Amino acid sequence: MNNEKKNRPGLFKRLLKDWGPLLGISIGSDLDDARTVEDKYRRYPQPWIRYILFLLFVLCIVYINSITVEYSGVTARGWGLVKASLRGLITPSWKVIVDTSSTGLMHMLLETFAIGFLGTLFGTILAIPLGFVCSRNVAPRWVNLLFLVIVTVIRSFPSIMYGIMFVKTVGPGPFAGVLTMTIGSAGMLCKMFVEAIEDIDKGVIEALDAAGCTAFEKVRYGIIPQLSSSIISSVLYRLDINIKNASVLGLVGAGGIGAQLIFAIDDRRWSDTGAMLWGLVVMVLLIEYISTKIRRRLAADVR
Amino acid sequence: MLNFIQDLLHIFYPRSYTLANGKKVREKFNTAPYITILLIALIIYCMQLAGVDFSILRERGKNFWDMLGRMLPPNWKYYDTMKKPMLDTINMSLLGSVFGCAVALPVSFYLSSNFRLNKVYLATHRVLLSLLRTLPTMIIACYFRMVLGMGALVGTIAISIFSYTICVKMMYEYIETVDMGPYEALLSTGASRPKCMLRAIWPQVKGYYISTVLYCFESNVKSAAILGYVGAGGIGQIISGRLNLRRYADLGLVLIFMTATIVILEGIARFARRKLVR
Repeated sequence: MNNEKKNRPGLFKRLLKDWGPLLGISIGSDLDDARTVEDKYRRYPQPWIRYILFLLFVLCIVYINSITVEYSGVTARGWGLVKASLRGLITPSWKVIVDTSSTGLMHMLLETFAIGFLGTLFGTILAIPLGFVCSRNVAPRWVNLLFLVIVTVIRSFPSIMYGIMFVKTVGPGPFAGVLTMTIGSAGMLCKMFVEAIEDIDKGVIEALDAAGCTAFEKVRYGIIPQLSSSIISSVLYRLDINIKNASVLGLVGAGGIGAQLIFAIDDRRWSDTGAMLWGLVVMVLLIEYISTKIRRRLAADVR
Repeated sequence: MLNFIQDLLHIFYPRSYTLANGKKVREKFNTAPYITILLIALIIYCMQLAGVDFSILRERGKNFWDMLGRMLPPNWKYYDTMKKPMLDTINMSLLGSVFGCAVALPVSFYLSSNFRLNKVYLATHRVLLSLLRTLPTMIIACYFRMVLGMGALVGTIAISIFSYTICVKMMYEYIETVDMGPYEALLSTGASRPKCMLRAIWPQVKGYYISTVLYCFESNVKSAAILGYVGAGGIGQIISGRLNLRRYADLGLVLIFMTATIVILEGIARFARRKLVR
């Protein structure tokens, strides 16, 4: 009798046993006591209060932010525009698609591709040395910090601003777009390269050193094979993004399909808009498909 | 001389050797030289198409630095005017990411192929998603602006759609790689499918989901800064307006705030990722 009383858990422990699961706390013995799976499932910690608090937190954020968003109703001709534009998407204008002159779809798409491709290429050329300088196992710490600050500042400016500034510098045209894409992608690529370079296995280089290799041989057989697949896959990933972004640059006069597309939307030439959108979608999907295929193969090679 | 030319040619097609027993053996075919030539041709073609000419850059490059230099003593009085658009930009991207990613989570469960749901539904939804994903946020905003008029609502909708498509794609690709053992075990005890997903799959993908949401939020702040250019609210309008009026000192202040915001947000995101993703 006395013994039984001794073994009885205290008030705090009992409270914890009964209400703890609601807070996400469970006492080990409680779960072990369960006999059936269902019993165990029922006694599994159910942190409802945590869920509710999290939900309240998210709702608070949404409420505070929703002040800036005002709903002023659909514009007078809103629904008519939706219908007309959908009709335009279904019946794209073949005149624009077939046209091979400099205002035709094919030329604009190729120009967009060229901007994205060259931007990625030059961005990579810029980012590789930056990546080496920014990684901890290559350069001293103060050099890292200095270049990391520069790269962060470059990365945080919106790309449209570079677009406007380069258009003012070298004049409107696709070259300004290429420069914009270069700067825009160099920042992000540098960040990805740093991660790859800091992951390098130093043992390989030491082994080559022990075998009496020259510096060139160490780079060729020790560093490049370790980096190439991750660098290529991040470059291909960035190529996807750049080609998608290049279609917007036209807005500030930096070449590509963007200018014509936005003019067409503003003038409500829906069948032209439809043709351009379909062209853009097909090109982006095609490049995404190819780059995903190559990246899958690279990932498989590494394993 | 002839040997040298032969060696050069052998870059493009494999050598063959005759072994002692009279068997012919070929080297492995190497595609690298062909790929290099194709790439170089593509680069030259693209350079011509895009009119890349670095001498222009050398001539007028100093204009760019000039522009940057004139931003440097920033005009601090401009703060009152740019405060609201700046906050709008952050709000738009926060709200858009929350909405987009919240809707994306349940959908991504029903879009991953390892639950063996209806194939027709899977294929149609995925095609629609990838069509939507290829459209830049700007074009979506441009379209909604005509229907709903100018304002931050348009930007929020465009960002929600963009985050939805990105988040769903990343999530369903991740869910497909998940360990299905716990799910099958739970299913065998007679639990319903949503219950099994909640208890067996969700704990496995929780960390990835949180880091995806944070990634979306980070990249959305940057794209929200652009959206103002088509009249979707936010800081973009101010940036383009100030640049066109050549008020570089005002722009300097805007850019300092942009940089500070993005650095702080990235710091918060990194901290949250470390705390929440175990």
